[in-house]
Amino acid sequence: MTATPLLEVRGINKSFGPVQVLRDVDFAIYPGEVTALVGDNGAGKSTLVKCIGGIHPIDSGEYHFEGTPVSVHSPRDASGLGVEIVYQDLALCDNLDIVQNMFLGRERRNGLVLDEVTMEQLATETLAGLSVRTVKSVRQLVASLSGGQRQTVAIAKAVLWNSKVVILDEPTAALGVAQTAQVLELVRRLADTGHAVVLISHNMNDVFAVSDRIAALYLGRMAAQVKASDVTYAQIVELITAGRSGDLGLTPAVADITNGAQS
Amino acid sequence: MRAGPSQDEIRRLNLGALLRYVHLRGPTSRAELTANLGLNRSTIGALTADLVATGLVREDLPRGHGRAGRPSLVVRPEPHAYVFAFSIEADRVTAARVGLGGVVLDRREALRPRGEVPPAEVVAPLADAVRTMQTSVPPGARYVGSGAAVSAMVRREDGLVRLAPHVGWVDEPLGEALAKVLGPERPVTIRNGADLRALAEHSRGAAVGCDNVVYLHGDAGIGGGIIAGGRPVTGHGGYGGEVGHMVVNPGGKLCGCGARGCWETEVGEVALLRAAGRDGYGRDVVSAVVDAAARGDAVAQNAIREVGDWLGFGVANLVNIFNPEMVIFGGGLREVYLAAAAQVRSRLNRNGLHACREHVRLRTPVLGDDAALLGAAEVAFEPLLDDPLDAAPHFS
Repeated sequence: MTATPLLEVRGINKSFGPVQVLRDVDFAIYPGEVTALVGDNGAGKSTLVKCIGGIHPIDSGEYHFEGTPVSVHSPRDASGLGVEIVYQDLALCDNLDIVQNMFLGRERRNGLVLDEVTMEQLATETLAGLSVRTVKSVRQLVASLSGGQRQTVAIAKAVLWNSKVVILDEPTAALGVAQTAQVLELVRRLADTGHAVVLISHNMNDVFAVSDRIAALYLGRMAAQVKASDVTYAQIVELITAGRSGDLGLTPAVADITNGAQS
Repeated sequence: MRAGPSQDEIRRLNLGALLRYVHLRGPTSRAELTANLGLNRSTIGALTADLVATGLVREDLPRGHGRAGRPSLVVRPEPHAYVFAFSIEADRVTAARVGLGGVVLDRREALRPRGEVPPAEVVAPLADAVRTMQTSVPPGARYVGSGAAVSAMVRREDGLVRLAPHVGWVDEPLGEALAKVLGPERPVTIRNGADLRALAEHSRGAAVGCDNVVYLHGDAGIGGGIIAGGRPVTGHGGYGGEVGHMVVNPGGKLCGCGARGCWETEVGEVALLRAAGRDGYGRDVVSAVVDAAARGDAVAQNAIREVGDWLGFGVANLVNIFNPEMVIFGGGLREVYLAAAAQVRSRLNRNGLHACREHVRLRTPVLGDDAALLGAAEVAFEPLLDDPLDAAPHFS
């Protein structure tokens, strides 16, 4: 596995008014790997991801991309680096077809008119590159797609722009079993094609099924970032609920302080 | 002492290498072939011309060429050369016509209830399927050979099925029976289904580029296909890789093979359904249990966890023995793995030796239900890929 992270944040702090949501958080994402980001409700998963995506400015800390320090102040900066986030609500338009959705706001032009042929071809190639076989036509309206297919389109949309980092927020929530399986396989393939993938999930099976690394947040601190081949289910649950598990995680003192700060 | 290979032998080897490359990787430009096969440009040109003459490949200009200079011609496999591929499973038989390049051109499936069945009742629907498919073969297409995947222990030389516990066969000459259907001109190769699925995933699926792979297939039992150092591990007579019959629980349930506590009695379909307290068999019933677990059915959740834990035990053993780069969960095990990955991974991490397991990737198949057919097609194409000219005279 690759030793140098593609994207790394160090010592990130973020407060909303008096509430400090992230404290000294380190987080690294590697190309070709799925990094799962787990934590209880309110642990700071979404905030961390939004800081990486440039939606929330960070109060302090370092942001490194491909080894060089960068400053990210807006979502535009982040997508300029090749960081794409797929949110839970997917942000797709029901009244448009798959191609129109994938190119929404970034349409290809051929002179004055839209270059439909190229866009359709690129959309088809992107879906084929991810071995997606469930979508029959790229000219289907998104309204006619199932939950799993929508998720697939949203992920393909993120990949279309030569993105290097793809962040997925609960991609399997509210999906049936068969569709969950397909989306998990898609997440895995995304990493196997060289992307650095971050998977936010509450489902430990999903996390263990596809992840190479697991990062556990506990009350705004990074409890541990470990390889999936080194931990057990029970240890991850302890990291999520208590911030530590044996030698892993926060030291008892820090865990207590963190706890105290919250209560 | 033998002299070095003759010019002709070298040419045949190179033709085979080129044909195999485009067969497995799909359309490839001459420039890329030159770079990847380690032959010079004019040799590639001459070899391609030879193959075009036999009708095995064709050349055309690349689509959407945007760069300056003369475009490099793209060499494509010609699916006119085809094989018949069969898959015989516990509850279905499938037949397909597969073209060079691994394209399924035609496909027929016949379902039947699970249970013991005389071989004639399996061969008959396959023969029917072959006859129907033969009527739609375009003129000029060329039959290369046949391959069959069967969930059984198969003798390598002649396709004698030594033991197929789920259909009740002992020493059945399946190879002979299929040769009668297909004619004696071209060979019919029969292999274990899991071995062929492993081969297919290795050549054009999830495990491309991985030389050490363990493939696990779940249907009525658990089959295993092992690839070590880039080669299939099938043992002395072709019977190896029966991972379903590793004994993991000596005090466990009686297995169809007569032993007690085989791995498949703890992780197979029967074990899952027993633990979940359900009747029936087949992929649909397994899916129903997984679905119930996802919806919060506590009995189903426990069943999945228990089976996932046993699955992890066996995988840890295999990982310690073979140190694979990848373990693939196929058939019914795909869903079981995805639903119980936390248990499987945890057990593997606890029981697998650190050095053996640190780089292992747990994956699901890319080829889905076509894997057995594509693997069977792969062995059927083998003689052609080994020596394209030897097989070519049968053509034109």
